[in-house]
Amino acid sequence: MSGSPFDIELDEMTLARARRGDLRACETIYRSYTQPAFTVAFRICQCRETAQEVSQEAFITAFRKLKQFRGDAPFWGWLRRVVVNHAISAIRRNARHDGVRFEDYHASDDPAQESVGLAMDLESALAGLQPADRAVVWLHDVEGYNHKEIAELFGKTESFSKTRLSRAREKLRTLLEEGTARLAASR
Amino acid sequence: MADITMNLAKVYIMSVMHKPDDPLNLGSLPPVAPPDDGWPAIEAALAANNRKRRLLRMATGSLAAAATLVLALVLTLGRTVSPPEAAAPGLAQDNAPGGQATEVTPEPLRDPPVESLIAMSRQLETRVLAYRNEVGDLPSTDLVYQVELQDLIVQVDEQLSMNPDSLDLWSQRVSLLLDVSQLYENHLRRDYFRMASL
Repeated sequence: MSGSPFDIELDEMTLARARRGDLRACETIYRSYTQPAFTVAFRICQCRETAQEVSQEAFITAFRKLKQFRGDAPFWGWLRRVVVNHAISAIRRNARHDGVRFEDYHASDDPAQESVGLAMDLESALAGLQPADRAVVWLHDVEGYNHKEIAELFGKTESFSKTRLSRAREKLRTLLEEGTARLAASR
Repeated sequence: MADITMNLAKVYIMSVMHKPDDPLNLGSLPPVAPPDDGWPAIEAALAANNRKRRLLRMATGSLAAAATLVLALVLTLGRTVSPPEAAAPGLAQDNAPGGQATEVTPEPLRDPPVESLIAMSRQLETRVLAYRNEVGDLPSTDLVYQVELQDLIVQVDEQLSMNPDSLDLWSQRVSLLLDVSQLYENHLRRDYFRMASL
């Protein structure tokens, strides 16, 4: 297991049927991978509508090009790459950058609520990054891409990936600290 | 102040307690569910793509058939206009006194003249132009195939500009024009719609 949310096993029979254009098999694949596909698209694009478009277009592309999948690597890795490629194209097309909004998720003393609050802060901080920085940090830290792979996805050098990753992590830390300080000041 | 210290401590703990590849523990963020079921739209797109592929296969089939027909026509035409001596391959009547038959080297099979293909190509272009004037713009679904065929013609034309006497390229051009012409004819007879609904 790679730890990537995409790492879901797919039986060879379904894959073979989908390769022959069987729509029911394609639907099975879609249902298996729609959540990780939407999640990675959303984390990169930070917009539900765009993520939905990206996810749908990626599945259509994947099913149309399924015959090109050679099977020498896991299917999920191939599909993930298709989704990520579409997501990167989307952020290139539409490089929106919404402001960061920190909300008071720390109102409860309940530890579970605290944990949700931290996750929401992290989510807000992630949304505050520049699209390319966000994509790089997500692909590297969560999806497990290495710098070479990220550089290939963006058509850039490895130093681009390293610089963006370092900048993104630093910015995330700053945003998390600022958010915490702002919350404290408002009390 | 205690709150700030507490939260900063949490951020710090988050950053040190997780794997080095994910120092901020982004992986802990929950998966996001898509807003609605995207499958119907995907299925419709795939079904349309399958229809398009079927039509293209049919178009390719008719293109190959047209190419064969054109080649057969041109070969027949070439033979009819061949000089009479070609009718008795291997032997030629010597005009010299005594009239002895002498053996000659057999000529290779004559290629169909490029000129006739060029002429056919021009005729088809005129026909397509006439259809276009008559029909106007094809419906968008038909237009896709027309544009694809026109693109192929442009590709052939590019190759022809480098190799203007290529029999193969002129044959391809004629075949493609036949297909474009067929598309308009089908449209006029509304057969195309029946075919598209298969």
